[in-house]
Amino acid sequence: MSGPAPRNPDFAARFAKFHADMYDGLSPVTQRVSVAVVGPELELTNTETRTTQVWRLDALRNLPDQAASDTLMLARSDDHPARLIIREAATAREILRAIPDLRPLRGSRGGWFRVGVMGLAAVGALAGILFGLVPVMADRGAMYVPPASEVALGQIVYDEIFAARGAVTCTATAGTVALDQMESRLMAGVSLPYPLTVRVVQDPLVNAFALPGGHIVIHSALIDAAETPEEVAAVLAHEIGHVAHRDGTRAVLRSVGSFGLIGLTMGDVFGGSVIAGLTRAALDSSYSRAAEEAADAYAITMLRNVGVSPGALATFFERMQASGQSMELGVFQHLSSHPDTLQRITAARAADIGQGRPILDAASWAALQGICADTTTAGDPQFAPNSTVAGAANK
Amino acid sequence: MSILKTDFGGDRGELFQLALKTGLLTVLTVGLYRFWQTTRLRRWYWSSIRIGSNPLEYTGTAQEKLTGFLLAVIVLAFYLMLFNGAAMYFVIGLSEGAPDYLNLAMATTPLALVPIIFMARYRARRYILSRTRWRGIRMGMSGGAWGYAWRACMYWVLTILSVGLLWPLMTFQLEKYLTDRTWFGDAPFMQFGSAAMLSGAILPFLLMLWASIGLPVAAVMTGQNLYYMGLILTIPLTAVTAVSYRVGSVRIMASMKTLGDGMEFDIAPGTGRLIRIHIFGRILTSLVIAFVSPVVLGIVLGLIYLSGSYDPSMLLAPPPMIAAIIAVATWLTVFVLYGICQQVFIVFPIVKHIGETFELHEPTLLQTVRQRARADGRDAGGFADALDVGAAF
Ligand SMILES: [Zn+2]
Repeated sequence: MSGPAPRNPDFAARFAKFHADMYDGLSPVTQRVSVAVVGPELELTNTETRTTQVWRLDALRNLPDQAASDTLMLARSDDHPARLIIREAATAREILRAIPDLRPLRGSRGGWFRVGVMGLAAVGALAGILFGLVPVMADRGAMYVPPASEVALGQIVYDEIFAARGAVTCTATAGTVALDQMESRLMAGVSLPYPLTVRVVQDPLVNAFALPGGHIVIHSALIDAAETPEEVAAVLAHEIGHVAHRDGTRAVLRSVGSFGLIGLTMGDVFGGSVIAGLTRAALDSSYSRAAEEAADAYAITMLRNVGVSPGALATFFERMQASGQSMELGVFQHLSSHPDTLQRITAARAADIGQGRPILDAASWAALQGICADTTTAGDPQFAPNSTVAGAANK
Repeated sequence: MSILKTDFGGDRGELFQLALKTGLLTVLTVGLYRFWQTTRLRRWYWSSIRIGSNPLEYTGTAQEKLTGFLLAVIVLAFYLMLFNGAAMYFVIGLSEGAPDYLNLAMATTPLALVPIIFMARYRARRYILSRTRWRGIRMGMSGGAWGYAWRACMYWVLTILSVGLLWPLMTFQLEKYLTDRTWFGDAPFMQFGSAAMLSGAILPFLLMLWASIGLPVAAVMTGQNLYYMGLILTIPLTAVTAVSYRVGSVRIMASMKTLGDGMEFDIAPGTGRLIRIHIFGRILTSLVIAFVSPVVLGIVLGLIYLSGSYDPSMLLAPPPMIAAIIAVATWLTVFVLYGICQQVFIVFPIVKHIGETFELHEPTLLQTVRQRARADGRDAGGFADALDVGAAF
């Protein structure tokens, strides 16, 4: 060790033993210092300039998560940028002996309060936008979409959900005629901004969908599960209710409106997807709750008007619920997401008008049940009458 | 002329423990701990890079990172809402009789995020630099995220329009923009040179890129499907030459940077080395996941068996509850293992390799440098976290 000759031998003896590198937080120049524990303080004396600094022992912290275990990095708890780097094992031992409970450096206090405030603000902002603004914008917007666009939009959605996955459409002639018969009976005296396009798709799940622009899809399993044509008619009427209320278009506008918003909380494969999934589920159920009740009410009126008992809707819901299938699958996906399925059954049951006029005769009902005797793979030009639309969707 | 060389003081086993511990905590807290995970990993990596035997120090905290993330979520939520409103209006207004617009409107929605992503990258870098210290002196970066974002968008458009010929201009100008705003204490970094010095490095990449684009075009024009065969060669070569360009440009530009009164740098990672790290890293990752996941799953199944809820009929038709437990356990195992393997087999060797090639010339000039004021960095890189465009740690 070179340096000026010590004036006090006792002083020198105590100080020569332990050394460290110090950075004063003002300049990047390394200062070689001798280290001495004096009472509750650490005395650091520059070996060249002989200037001394005093650091309080109880204010010393070590830097956490350091990779190099051969060095001890010390900082001060007052957020000062000065650092003491101890490479010699003897010096490290001396300091650890003086501060056996050396604690890691922590960020400033008050951080948690800010986290809490920001967390509440973020949750509030997201909830307000997703549950408040976006649905209002979508509901208003749906009113202004021209019918022709809705029809095209429905075709695009159909192509994406069904055609692109090679869905098989049931097209037996007699069955199609029976379905048309049921549709025109229900639609007697009703005018919609666009024609209905009802398709039966082969699928083992009991379900039915109303897409934008009058596209309705009924799964073959739903026809199989129904015991009377009136039950199918009741579900069809419910879906027509969604068409009349433009629920499909609103759903598309909502998804355009909420694009990227749910994903903001992601940023992480696991944590985010759970939160995003829960948010999505909460959103869907809150959006659909009112829509389902409105579609039920529409169906009840429609069925009554054509002399079919709305009780058929209740019968079908009940059968699905009893089979146990309904809670997981089916019209039924949206039914199951509502705790008030029973309430909907009761509402439909209350509207029962007893034995109505049969919607289909026995022969037509048999034909409808056999609609899957002939099938066409969806996406076939026959089922995409507007080929430019289909082409656009495939791009 | 004196030189400070860099050594890497981290141990892979220690990193494994840190990655395992923080990975499990991240999973157990449904992802919330990831801000602590990132912070702790950064502290570890920074401290392992020792320039002239003095380690870097990362002083960011997880709380400020989480606060910044939440702030970014609020800002982005309003931004996206406005943009989505415009997209909705577009869907409604222009869709009549022209359904192509519908697709266009839906496809352009993500474009709203492109400038934001550049902005987020700049701010994330700025935050990281403001939380980096060496020899007790803070690094820092001046503001300019939006200037960076529009320049990046503009240079990308130019690069695409020029079929890649202006790519070096983009690389150089963006790097210069970043470098000229970077500080160590009160000493500024400066980027010298010009885009022209990158032209040699980019040539192989451009040739391969053009070949990969040209071959399918030729196949379509002539109807000869044989042209597609060429892609087997050109696509991997495009990837290799892209890495080579990236490495080469970093090296060339680093040698033309100065700090303060004339300190200079060298950084010389090897392209082959980096590609090997990636390939072996991925192979090792797959092997670990393939061999360790079944063991973890075996333990889960064993626990289910011991808990007495096992029944031979379950093999064919597992009850939903049990199936869900198994699915979640599988997913978590793979997720945690993947995170650990990324750190241990890919990030670790890359940081080590790149770090070890770093040199600082004329370190005596360091004595002219003084401390800079503390920067607040309000969003703490939160925009990059919310958009998930951050780096590996
Ligand atoms: Zn419904």
